[in-house]
Amino acid sequence: MADLAFTLNGQQQNLTVDEGTPLLWVLREHLAMTGTKFGCGMGLCGACTVHMDGSPIRSCSYPAEYVNGRAITTIEGLAASDDDLHPVQQAWLEMNVPQCGYCQSGQIMSAVALLANNSAPTDADIDSAMAGNICRCGTYPRIRKAIHRAAELQGAVISAATAGVQHYDPTAVVLNINHISDGEIV
Amino acid sequence: MGISRRAFLKSSAVVGGGLAIGFNLSGCAKAQYPHYSAADLQPNAFLQVTPSGEVILQLHKSEMGQGVYTGMATMAAEELNMAPALITVQQAEFHPDFRDPEFYVMITGGSSSIKLNYVVVREAAATVAALLKAAAAQHLSLPESALNLKDGKAVHAGGEVGFASLIEIARSLPSPKQVTLKSPQDFQYIGRYNKRLDALAKVTGKATFGLDVQYPNALTAVLLRCPQFGGKVQSFDASLALTKSGVKSVIEVDGAVAVLADTYWQARQAAAAVKLVWGKSPLTGISSDSLRAERHQLLVSEEGNNVEEKGESSAAVGERFEAVYDVPYLAHATMEPMNALAVVTAQGVEVWTGNQSPDIALSEIADATGFKREQIRIHNQMLGGGFGRRIMPDYLVEAARVAQLSGSPVKLVWSREDDMRADFYRPNATVAMAATIANNKVSSLQAKVVAPSILGGFVQYVTNTILPQWLPNGLHKQIGGLAADTDPSASEGLAHSDYEFPYMRTDYVMQKTSIPIGYWRSVGHSQNAFFMESFIDELANRTAQDPIAFRLAHLAKDSRRRKVLELAAAKADWGNPPAGQFQGVAVHESFSTVVAEIVNVSVADGKIKVHKVVCVVECGMAINPDIVTMQMESGIVFGLTAALKGEITVVDGAVQQSNFHDYEMLRMNESPEIEVYRIDTAAAPTGVGEPGVPPLAPALANAVFAATGQRLRQLPLRLA
Repeated sequence: MADLAFTLNGQQQNLTVDEGTPLLWVLREHLAMTGTKFGCGMGLCGACTVHMDGSPIRSCSYPAEYVNGRAITTIEGLAASDDDLHPVQQAWLEMNVPQCGYCQSGQIMSAVALLANNSAPTDADIDSAMAGNICRCGTYPRIRKAIHRAAELQGAVISAATAGVQHYDPTAVVLNINHISDGEIV
Repeated sequence: MGISRRAFLKSSAVVGGGLAIGFNLSGCAKAQYPHYSAADLQPNAFLQVTPSGEVILQLHKSEMGQGVYTGMATMAAEELNMAPALITVQQAEFHPDFRDPEFYVMITGGSSSIKLNYVVVREAAATVAALLKAAAAQHLSLPESALNLKDGKAVHAGGEVGFASLIEIARSLPSPKQVTLKSPQDFQYIGRYNKRLDALAKVTGKATFGLDVQYPNALTAVLLRCPQFGGKVQSFDASLALTKSGVKSVIEVDGAVAVLADTYWQARQAAAAVKLVWGKSPLTGISSDSLRAERHQLLVSEEGNNVEEKGESSAAVGERFEAVYDVPYLAHATMEPMNALAVVTAQGVEVWTGNQSPDIALSEIADATGFKREQIRIHNQMLGGGFGRRIMPDYLVEAARVAQLSGSPVKLVWSREDDMRADFYRPNATVAMAATIANNKVSSLQAKVVAPSILGGFVQYVTNTILPQWLPNGLHKQIGGLAADTDPSASEGLAHSDYEFPYMRTDYVMQKTSIPIGYWRSVGHSQNAFFMESFIDELANRTAQDPIAFRLAHLAKDSRRRKVLELAAAKADWGNPPAGQFQGVAVHESFSTVVAEIVNVSVADGKIKVHKVVCVVECGMAINPDIVTMQMESGIVFGLTAALKGEITVVDGAVQQSNFHDYEMLRMNESPEIEVYRIDTAAAPTGVGEPGVPPLAPALANAVFAATGQRLRQLPLRLA
């Protein structure tokens, strides 16, 4: 058995699971967080993408004990409420990205991670960051447009914030979690 | 009911908006709706208004990405004069009123949802609107002409009153004998509303797919099936598996072995420890190569059934030119693997899942479990992709049987490997295309297609669902088998095309041996458009004509394809691709919708690179214009995936592919620029879920020919 202690969307989690259990199934079955999806079980499709300390990982093939002391963010942790969406989610709505929607949690998590490191990605940057996420409905052209749009929205939000206006900081989720050190949790 | 509805739909196809139509859905009100509520205004199966004034639409079609959730709500909203977002959409359980007038069962397929419900759903909403308006007039002591419905309220010069205040009166009124539908020129939402009502839930992770359903104390089950189709377990040893953490039981279920545990991971780990001995499969020794060789032999040895013959065979003069094409089996590979949650008690069965045909599944679960249809409930969820795969009831039946035999609520979860290897595949097929050419003119076009029959396997499910329950057990399926001697889907897109040559003929030879096959997005058109539109290109080349000019010269004068093709040529700047790029074109009609696609490619280092696809679609009136565009984009990527990568191979009766490393999907970095243009007409809407797929493969193959001179007659496309 493996004892787990990590934060999930800012909330401390402590539980015991079978050794080797992938993080995906801990999220979906033990913690009933079903926004993160099962697609292939081999890290090939990206539907299970979550953030560990702000970086995207494929949770279907990531043993949960490896996230001990880390901060995990899932699709449920991106926005405080439906009225206060992350710029990437907002852009996804504006561009009518989702079709069946099953892969979109993973797509969005990959896009958020891309934009956190690259505020103005080129098409080539997007291709390389998003190539690990399969969409069977073929929403790729819209994802590309939505990432460019999210970069604009995010830029607008940051410039508003620097002008002293109280505004949602899209990087807050990731940044706040990054401040939690391994030592504090374990 | 079924017949009058069919007759109604036929007549309504020519009835323009604004005309009164004599059909009263409230005639079915005696039937107990599964969503019946004694307090609601509920004059038909589709719409109800609660005492609090909430308007609820029963979505009787499955949302699998194609946008029917939004489309249906938009059509209802139009007649109720309310913003689509104000309507609550619930996924409907089975009810006879939800049966499809073409397929006779409650099913989502054939790109037919919008086409067949354009009148039905608007009329259902108009009936509710008429009752609310009459109630408001009574409530306010005003003539009906003095008020209007607007966003869930009755509005008049002196103020407004909410639906909640009108329900009691509306419930007491007789349903109108006939209702008047809005004229298209008065539409506020149809053709204008461009959002998706399901998008917010899908970008926040809140949308519930089958796999997301939670049930108290449900165990997770995985099923071990014989790798060879049709094989059943002979014996198994679960002693080691039963020692694994969380494992509850290992049981035989109808020839397979189920492993039940607290969690998926535990079940999957234990499943690997089960020792299995499989019995002999009827497909032992069969391979995709042997099936292909058999088709080539059948092409010569069998005459087949004549599907269509136009003109006199004596008109087929000149030199004969023949080309043989082949396509492989394809998997659906929905992003959400098959799954279903089932609970079986002495009273009956309940299933939660995403499925395209709950009606068929009810009958199949009834057969498998011994319960009556009336004792079974299916709660449909969002589908993580369908593409035809979820028409089949197999995974619901499996879950119900595991739950029944184990005595526990069970969520059955397929792995990606299960999903890849136990699909109902797009049939493999071979065609001989032939033409005669005299004096540089094509005098005949003939197609002889050899393929297994999807209908042959599927019709038994339909007959099993619509024939009376009292027929002796098994007889349903025998009758179904008898009716399955022909299969229009095998030749659709070859026969009944808009091309005109002096002599035209299509024949079909049924291949009797196959692994399980099913309906795959655009069905027969998925291969037949490739055959037809590639060969048309070959004929253009052999007669030294431009591919578009050749098509226009041979399409019927009144063909809808002409305008679509002409606009595509203009938008793609046909004949002037960027340096180093080459263009290919195809135009095809499927499911009453016409689509042309022009593909720009380059070929370097033996690799095909797709730069851009220009698409023109004519689907009558667009209900939601952006969803039409989305479906074309989707069909193009789906078609491109198949054309460049898709191939399921069989060796010794078993599928060789297992996951996305050996059955690859197109990815972001391979996704071309896509431009979609619509030609809007005043005609009633036709479907868009599938018609974007068929033209892609031939347009791409034709572009590759332009680039390399290589005529690739097999899919996936592989350069020599």
